[in-house]
Amino acid sequence: MRRGIKWSNLYLAAVFLILYAPIFYLMFYSFNSGGSMREFESFTLEWYGEVFSDTRLLIIVLNTLVIALLSSLISTILGVIGALAIRQVRRLRSKHTLLSLNNVLIVSPDVIIGASFLILFTMIGLQLGFSSVLISHIAFSVPIVVLMVLPKLEEMSPTLIDAARDLGASRWEVLTKVTLPFIKPGIFAGFFMALTYSLDDFAVTFFVTGNGFSTLSVEIYSRARHGVSLSINALSTLLFLFTALLVVGYYFIHRRTNGKPANAEVGP
Amino acid sequence: MKQLVRMTAAVIIITAALLYLTNWLNTSQGFRGKDTLTIYNWGDYIDPELLARFEKETGIKVIYQTFDSNEAMMTKIAQGGTSYDVSIPSEYAISKMKQEGLLLPIDHSKIPNLKYVDKRFMDLSFDHDNQYSIPYFWGTVGIVYNPEMLGGREIHKWSDLWDESLRNQILLVDGAREVIGMSLNALGYSLNDTDEGHLQEALRRLNLLTPNVKAIVGDEIKMLLAGEEAAIGVVWSGDASEIMSENEKLDYVVPKEGTNLWFDNMVIPKSATNIEGAHKFINFMLDPEVNAQNTEYVGYSTPNAKALELLPEDISGDERFYPDPEMTSKLEVYENLGPRMLSHYNELFLEFKMHRK
Repeated sequence: MRRGIKWSNLYLAAVFLILYAPIFYLMFYSFNSGGSMREFESFTLEWYGEVFSDTRLLIIVLNTLVIALLSSLISTILGVIGALAIRQVRRLRSKHTLLSLNNVLIVSPDVIIGASFLILFTMIGLQLGFSSVLISHIAFSVPIVVLMVLPKLEEMSPTLIDAARDLGASRWEVLTKVTLPFIKPGIFAGFFMALTYSLDDFAVTFFVTGNGFSTLSVEIYSRARHGVSLSINALSTLLFLFTALLVVGYYFIHRRTNGKPANAEVGP
Repeated sequence: MKQLVRMTAAVIIITAALLYLTNWLNTSQGFRGKDTLTIYNWGDYIDPELLARFEKETGIKVIYQTFDSNEAMMTKIAQGGTSYDVSIPSEYAISKMKQEGLLLPIDHSKIPNLKYVDKRFMDLSFDHDNQYSIPYFWGTVGIVYNPEMLGGREIHKWSDLWDESLRNQILLVDGAREVIGMSLNALGYSLNDTDEGHLQEALRRLNLLTPNVKAIVGDEIKMLLAGEEAAIGVVWSGDASEIMSENEKLDYVVPKEGTNLWFDNMVIPKSATNIEGAHKFINFMLDPEVNAQNTEYVGYSTPNAKALELLPEDISGDERFYPDPEMTSKLEVYENLGPRMLSHYNELFLEFKMHRK
């Protein structure tokens, strides 16, 4: 039995090594003073300095963060409302149809979503830039939030609401005091999922950026296509660390919000 | 619920702070001023020092943005909603943009430095009388090779590539006109040949090349050649100088049979908002001293005769990038063959790509 566990651990380690190797390779060379990814000469922080002295790049980083936070906030609100609405649907068939329509949006290729947004924005004459990117990010995040919130809603026993109504709670009170607190973990999960999706989205953003507005992934792409400057490695490293930080943050929030009710259930 | 409200408030506050910071950075950098000029150029295709100098001399704030392909640039301009004042497309893109009405005519009286431009590079088929475009850089399509990997062998012409000893050694750039043009040139025909017999002959000739071709690749050709993944590459001269600066063992040759002559010209897209500033910028870039400095930075061939005189001998005398008049007479500019002929070229290229050894 012991041996078996060891083998599976080894396998797991190998898989993770393979998955993370390219990222670490890239991170490793971001400290190379040699200027290329062929030979490692000596340790330097020069590329990081270059990243931080580039104001245009910093503006782009800030833009990316603003878009990510704002779009995930708005899409979380919309997504929660959407999930509540889907839950209200009585007929099973229409409920499934709605859910499938939601899922289609998640699995449909980003390129198609991006291209259709570009066509739409051009048609209605919206200037490409901050608002076009924000709108499209909200659009592709909403289905994700719905998908994260809905299981929590389904989990909630309808008797809880009946009991609350019985005890004289208004509809608003039921929503804010019973439903929302119950599905809170789902809301947080949805928010963080939307945040990470928005941060690393390339395909959709690529279509709808313009007029000097750009996000990090699009900028990295256009820089990488022209020669391989190691400042791209430095930037990617920073981005990776930031995303890792988000995941850790999500983990702690998840544990805090999820942990308590779980313990309470186990209790007396 | 409290937690949700707190979280929402936190996100809103952070976003507001970030927005304020972005705004502050933008203003402090002058990107919000009245007098700005948006330049839409290839990445790393101008000496940034010159942009700073232009800002200092004219008081116009430059916003520099980059694209990575002519097609992407054209789409962004055609699509509207953008306000680029100066762009630098390649010649085939210029003739297309001209047809689609995406360019504004250039007022030559506002560009006195135009007189420094070599007459050879003016009034070409893609833009007669330079109504819409002013030369920025030019170059050729040629062969980069690694003499060390070939055991000291030299390459002078296209037909050398068909040699049996070069099995699996050649990288080709992924462009229909470049590759078919290479074959047409090797056979002694024009790059702009539309004769079906000649084209079929060129395709048959290309198919014979397949055993020697290692891969047909895009931009990564630079990295692969510099990293010595293959000994020979068919590339644009601009890429060649970049590759050679990364790996000094490599050499570039303009094939004897003749080859393509390409241009990147400065244009004013129809979406321009600062037309006056755009003219100033074009004139500034043609100033011999400025042009020479830019040429040294970018490493492409300058069409500016006066600037060429200012350049050190090891640049201006380099026949690989400034071929002698006899060679120059064999260089041809791609003519716009029309959409039907172009798609025929693409089909032939596809047939070549699918050909099995």
